[in-house]
Amino acid sequence: MSALLEIDDLRVDFSRDGRVTSRALRGVSLTVEPGEAVGVVGETGCGKTLTGLSVLRMLPENATATGRITFEGKDMLELSAHELRAIRGRRISMVFQSPGTSFNPVFTVGYQIGLVAERHLGIGRKDGQRLVAETLHAVGLPNPESVMRFYPHELSGGMLQRAMIAMAIICKPSLLIADEPTTALDVTIAQQILRLLRRLQREQGFGVFFISHDLDLVSDFCDRIAVLYAGRVVEMGATAQLLARPRHPYTRALLEALPGKSEPGSPLPTVPGAVPGDRDEAPGCAFAPRCPLVVEQCFEERPTLAGIGAGQAVACHRWDAL
Amino acid sequence: MSVSLDSPEQLPEAFRSTGMRSRALRSLRRDPGALLGAIVITTLIFVALAAPLLAPYPAQGRGEANVPARDLAPSSEHWFGTDHLGRDVLSRVMFGGRPAIGVALAVVILAVLIGVPLGMVAGYRGGWLDEALMRTTDLFLAFPPLLLAMVISATLGASLFHAGLALAISWWPWYARLARTVTQSLKHEPFIDAARVFGVREPVILARHVLRNATTPILVQATIDAGTVILAVGALAFLGLAAQPPTPDWGLMVAEGRTTVVTEWWISTFPGLAIFAAVLAFNLLGDALRDVLDPRTGAR
Repeated sequence: MSALLEIDDLRVDFSRDGRVTSRALRGVSLTVEPGEAVGVVGETGCGKTLTGLSVLRMLPENATATGRITFEGKDMLELSAHELRAIRGRRISMVFQSPGTSFNPVFTVGYQIGLVAERHLGIGRKDGQRLVAETLHAVGLPNPESVMRFYPHELSGGMLQRAMIAMAIICKPSLLIADEPTTALDVTIAQQILRLLRRLQREQGFGVFFISHDLDLVSDFCDRIAVLYAGRVVEMGATAQLLARPRHPYTRALLEALPGKSEPGSPLPTVPGAVPGDRDEAPGCAFAPRCPLVVEQCFEERPTLAGIGAGQAVACHRWDAL
Repeated sequence: MSVSLDSPEQLPEAFRSTGMRSRALRSLRRDPGALLGAIVITTLIFVALAAPLLAPYPAQGRGEANVPARDLAPSSEHWFGTDHLGRDVLSRVMFGGRPAIGVALAVVILAVLIGVPLGMVAGYRGGWLDEALMRTTDLFLAFPPLLLAMVISATLGASLFHAGLALAISWWPWYARLARTVTQSLKHEPFIDAARVFGVREPVILARHVLRNATTPILVQATIDAGTVILAVGALAFLGLAAQPPTPDWGLMVAEGRTTVVTEWWISTFPGLAIFAAVLAFNLLGDALRDVLDPRTGAR
């Protein structure tokens, strides 16, 4: 089976006045199979969101992406603007972190979702609105006919996120990019949204690219997990396996830092040190300065992502020491 | 398809969308200034349209002289008196609303139609297009609009049509600027990115998402400008660069009475008051529109 989405050695550089000011992604490689949920985790600034945006070619103007992003056999980085628009919202869609600002405040929710359906499915206003009502119903909004007529500010965050999901799935995409879809919501609503996403995924069979900093959430939701550190995938594997036997010291540190794992009353464990700057890079492993298992080799030679069996891959010289 | 509702949040009680009409009525009730503005403008437009029926001396209103009755002070016969050619000033003021309001609307609409699309494209695209357009507007904005309009009007030949054209030419850069600024601030809103993520084409993003968000400031500005244009047309007419006699025009009438304003004060004063009322009313209405057009203010 060929992968739904295959990202190969994706690099994103930011530049100003022709000079590269920041190397944000330094060779991200990962795949999403059809119908599969892949979680991308990492600290702030490690490149999670940037990876997601690259897939849709939504990078800021001063960023350039190189590498290859293959989606349903097409190289996303090579597509014309026209071809790209035919995929955006139709084959790949996205759910954003803050539903409150992702809707245009001056249009009703139903109208905005309808625009997407009319655009991609080539249907008229009337059929579009009927489809919107059906989809709003499918995402668990009561009284879809009245919800459609509301302006975004008249709906709660949870309802808006459901509406956002409705907009994302109305054209039955094969890949959904969810960029921290629950971060702006409170915990109970977040759980509902996750349950909803899982149900829809089961029913419609789309692949999910789930971006989050919350390992708990991701392990709950995803079949596989990719751990990003400083613009690279440092470890990737099936969720259960990765959680049970993390092979990268950074993954292990993240797992240990989960609040549920520590004794009540004891200080919460953290990953010591900070993410390295994104300008220039020492030749070795980016995690070496923070790594408890660091050896001489780590500062001299950069480890590459290599399979270690059973679908797990890790970029670490000392993975077998864990 | 069976749907589990995942215990969705319930709709708030007494939940109803606030329509534009109800907001309009509410803001008129709350804001006496807006109410006054709306009443004055409605009255002026109604009187201008119905001038042939309402004016006591319609023929004089259009310009027919009645020399024997010239320079009469206001009386029960001639409420606003008569001018140097014996024409009833009240009738002239009523008819004078036609060119004033007509030109004001035409100028503003033309300026909006030229300026807004250019400004939106410049603001959204940026780059050399933006530079080129903004330098062009700089060129226009370097001159005071009235001065520029005077030059254009004097060059084309003094007439009401040319004055309107001249004003539109000197006014559109302001709308280009306004539309550009609004577009630039909207360009990076998440909902614009969201629209792009969902494959919406650029013209549609501009024509729907950006334009609708820019409508409020543009319409508010246009309304206030309608008053300013009336004043400008009046000024041009006063200088003899717009409407020509015997057209009933407020600015022209002020000019006609200016030499005798101490003795026959009514000839200049009443058309002057009409200009004042129209300018003030458009300003009040412009402020009120700001509240009415923005759905978010309905939540207050």
